[in-house]
Amino acid sequence: MSQPVAAISIQGLTKDFSVTLRGVKLRAVDALNLEVAEGQVYGLLGPNGSGKSTTIKIILGLLDATVGDVRVFGVPANRVEARRNVGYLPEAPYFYRYLSGRELVKFYARVCGVSGSRLRTRVDEVIDWVGLSGAADRRVGTYSKGMLQRIGLAQALVHDPKLIVLDEPTAGVDPVGSAEMCELILKLKQQGKTVLITSHLLAQIEDVCDRVAILDRGKLIVEGSVLELVGQRDRQALIVDPLPEADLEALRGWLAARGHSLNAVEQPRARLDQLFLSKVSRPGRPGGASAGVGSNEVPLDAKP
Amino acid sequence: MVALGLLAAGVALRPLEAPAWAVIRAGQPALRLESLKDALGQGVTVGLLGGFRAIVADLFWIRTNSIWEGNDLPGTQTSIKLVTAIDPRPLYFWLNGSRMIAYDMPNWRIDKAGGYDAVPEAVKRRFDEEQSAVAIRYLDNALEFHPNDPLLILEIANVHLNRLKDVETAARFYLQASRLPDAPFYAARIHAELLRKLGRNAEAYAFLKQLHPGLPAEDIGAQSDVVLGRIRELEDELSIPEAARFQPGSASRAAPTAP
Amino acid sequence: MSVASVPFSFSRLSLIAGNTFLEAVRQKLFNFLLLLAVGLVASAQFFREFNFGSSELKFISDFGFGALIFFGSALTIATTAQLFFSEIENRTALTLLAKPLWRAEFVFGKFLGVFAVIGVFCALTIGLMMALLWHREGQLMNIRPEDFANGRLIAYGDLLVVGVLQWLKFGVLAAIVLLIASFSNTNLFTVVTGFFVLVICHLQYLARDAWGNVDNAVLGLVVRALGFIFPNFQLFNLADQIGQGSGLSPVVALQVAGYAVAYIGVIGGLAVYSFRNREI
Repeated sequence: MSQPVAAISIQGLTKDFSVTLRGVKLRAVDALNLEVAEGQVYGLLGPNGSGKSTTIKIILGLLDATVGDVRVFGVPANRVEARRNVGYLPEAPYFYRYLSGRELVKFYARVCGVSGSRLRTRVDEVIDWVGLSGAADRRVGTYSKGMLQRIGLAQALVHDPKLIVLDEPTAGVDPVGSAEMCELILKLKQQGKTVLITSHLLAQIEDVCDRVAILDRGKLIVEGSVLELVGQRDRQALIVDPLPEADLEALRGWLAARGHSLNAVEQPRARLDQLFLSKVSRPGRPGGASAGVGSNEVPLDAKP
Repeated sequence: MVALGLLAAGVALRPLEAPAWAVIRAGQPALRLESLKDALGQGVTVGLLGGFRAIVADLFWIRTNSIWEGNDLPGTQTSIKLVTAIDPRPLYFWLNGSRMIAYDMPNWRIDKAGGYDAVPEAVKRRFDEEQSAVAIRYLDNALEFHPNDPLLILEIANVHLNRLKDVETAARFYLQASRLPDAPFYAARIHAELLRKLGRNAEAYAFLKQLHPGLPAEDIGAQSDVVLGRIRELEDELSIPEAARFQPGSASRAAPTAP
Repeated sequence: MSVASVPFSFSRLSLIAGNTFLEAVRQKLFNFLLLLAVGLVASAQFFREFNFGSSELKFISDFGFGALIFFGSALTIATTAQLFFSEIENRTALTLLAKPLWRAEFVFGKFLGVFAVIGVFCALTIGLMMALLWHREGQLMNIRPEDFANGRLIAYGDLLVVGVLQWLKFGVLAAIVLLIASFSNTNLFTVVTGFFVLVICHLQYLARDAWGNVDNAVLGLVVRALGFIFPNFQLFNLADQIGQGSGLSPVVALQVAGYAVAYIGVIGGLAVYSFRNREI
C-alpha cells in the first residue's frame, strides 16, 4: 500500500533575499523541514520576521525557494498545477472595492475554472457558508474588516480546494469576527479540508489547531500536536461547587492519604473574549450550526 | 536581459520600420535635428506637442508680435524662428516673419543708431543688406519645408527688389516663381517690367509674347488685356513693323521660357 | 506524481482584462482625462480666432489629435501604473496568483484591460473630432462652395486609420509601463520613468541622426544602441501625412501597425519574464 501524500511537504527549505545591490543576503527561512498531513489544521507560529509569510508564499508559488523542495499534494509548489487544490486568504485583504461580494467571488471562481450552472450554485453556496448572503450584493468597499475576511475566505473556497492557507486570518478583526473565523476553520476541518494558519494570536490558534510549528529567525524551533506541547499531563483540574473550609481540609486529608496533594484552590474565570461574545449580538452567524467554539454558551475554563 | 531583448527587437524590427519611417520623415521636414534646435532651447518638445503644435505656434506668434511692438530685434528674431521651428507648416509665419526681419528691423537699427538724419547712407545701406541677408536665409530655410513654393520665391524676389534694389537678381527670382505651378500671374508681369527697367526691352517683348497666349481670358488676375497693352507699348518702343506685330491667338499656348 | 497540466487560457486572460477594464473606467482619473480631452476637442472651434496659418479644418484636426496624443499618453501611463500597483498594494495580486493562473495571463490580462480602456478613450475623442469636422465642413461647403467643387476635402478614412495607429502606439506605451512596473517598487517611480521613456521614444530618431556625427567610437556605439533599444514613436506621427499628396499610404499604415503589434508582443513578453522573478 502506498503512503498517503502529505498536503504540504517541505524539505530543506532555505530562502535568501538580496537586501542590497552589492548582493548582501538576508536569510528569511533556514533549512526548514515540515510536513502537514491531509485533514489537519496546522498552525505556523512565530514573531514578526520569523519567516512564516515567506514560507507561505513559497508554498503558494508566489516566491521561489533558494534551496529545498516544497510540494503541495506531491506537486512542486512552483508549478501552476500545484495551486489547483489550494485556496488562499492573505492578511488584511482589500479586494476590488467596486465589485459586489457576489461579483467578487464569481470572478475568482471563474479564474479557477468554475463555470456553467455550477458557477452560480457554488458562488451562492460559499457566500451563504461564510454568512454573507445578506450583504452579497453590496459593494466590497462598504464591508467591515470582518466581512472582508469572510468574503476573502469565500473566494479562497469557491473552487473547493483541499488545502486552505490562511495568513493571519483574525488580524485586525474584533473578537466576534475572530470567533466566527475560528468556527469556520473548525467547520473546514469537519469537511476534511487541510488548513494552514499563521497567526500571532496564540490563544485562537490553540483553540483550533491540531498541530503547530513555531519558527524563529527562519528556523523551526518546536513542532508537535497542541496537546503534546501545552497539555500538563502530570496535573489535573477538578471544578466543583464552592466548598466550606472544613470540607476543603477533609479533601486535603483524603488526598494526602492516597499520596496526592492539593496544589491550588482558585476561583475559575471565564476568558474575557468569551464573556464579550456572550454579551454582544452576533447577527448572521456563518457556517450553519454552531461548531462549539464561540457559541453563546460560555464554557468555563478552569485555570488551575 | 530586458535591455538585450529590446535591443534585439529593435534590430529585428528595423526592416519593418525603415521604409515607413522614410516615407513619414520625407513628409515632415520638421523632424530634422537642426530645425529642432531653436525649439528645444526654449524647452519645447516638438515631438510631444503632437497636434498641439498649431495652437502652441499660434500662441508664440502672438508673443512674437508683442515683442515686435517693443522693437526688440534679437527677441523678435529668436521668437520668429521659434514659431516656425514649432510649426513650420503655415506659410503665414514664414512670410510675415521674413517681412519683419527685412523691412522693420533695418528701421529699428537706424533708430537705435541715432535716427534717419544722423545715420550715414552707407550705414543705412549696410543695415539693409545685413537684415535682407537674414531674411533670405530664413526664406531659404522655409523652402526646405515647402519646396518650390512660388510665394516664398516671390518673397525672396521682393527682398532683392525692395530692400537691396538689386533689380537683376529680383527679375531672376520673379521668373523662377512664375514658372512654378500655382504661381500668381503677376510674377511673370513683374519679371517683364523689371527687364524693361534694366533696358532689356527685346527680352521683355519676347517673354510677354510667349506669356500672353497662355493667359486665361476669363481670369481677372491673369489680366491678359494689361499684358497685351504692355506688348503694344514695347512694340512701339522697339519700332516693330505693323506686319510683324503680335497677333493674339496666333501663337501656340506654350508656357513662357526664359529669354 | 503526475498531475494534469494547466494550459495557458485566453478565458482567464480575458477575465483579468475585463476586471481591469471595469476597475479603470470606474476610476476618477479616467473620467477626468476623458472629459478634459473631449472638452478640448469640442473647444477647438472657439480657438479658430487664434489660428493664423493652417486652414480651419486642418486646425480642428490638429487640435483633436493634439488632445488625443497628450491626454492619451498621460492616461496610458497613469492608468497602467495605477492598475498594476493597486493589485500589488491591495494584495489582490496575491489572491489571484495563488490561483491556478499563469503570470503571463495576469500581465497580458492587465495589458488588454488597459488597452481596451485607451481604445474607448481614442474612439470617443476621434469620434467627436470627426463629427465636428463633418459638421464644420458642411457649413463651409455652403459658405464657400467653390473650395469644395470636388466634394468633401477631408479624408475621414485616413483620420480613422491615424486614430487606430495612435491607439496602437498607446498599446506599446502601456506595454513599456507594465515592463517598468514589473520590476519597480513604487507607482511614482513607474509613472516618472514612463514619462521619461515616452520622451525618449519620441526623440530617439535624433540619436539615430546624431550617431554618424559622434567622433568617439564608444559614445557612437551607445548612441546607436539607444536608437535600437527604444521604439520610434515619431513613426506614429501620421496626422501630418493626411492631406499631403495622395494621402495616407495603406502599405505604410500596415507597416506601422505591424511594428506596434510586434513591439507589444516583445515588450509584453519581457514584462512577463521580469514579473516572473518579482517577489510579490
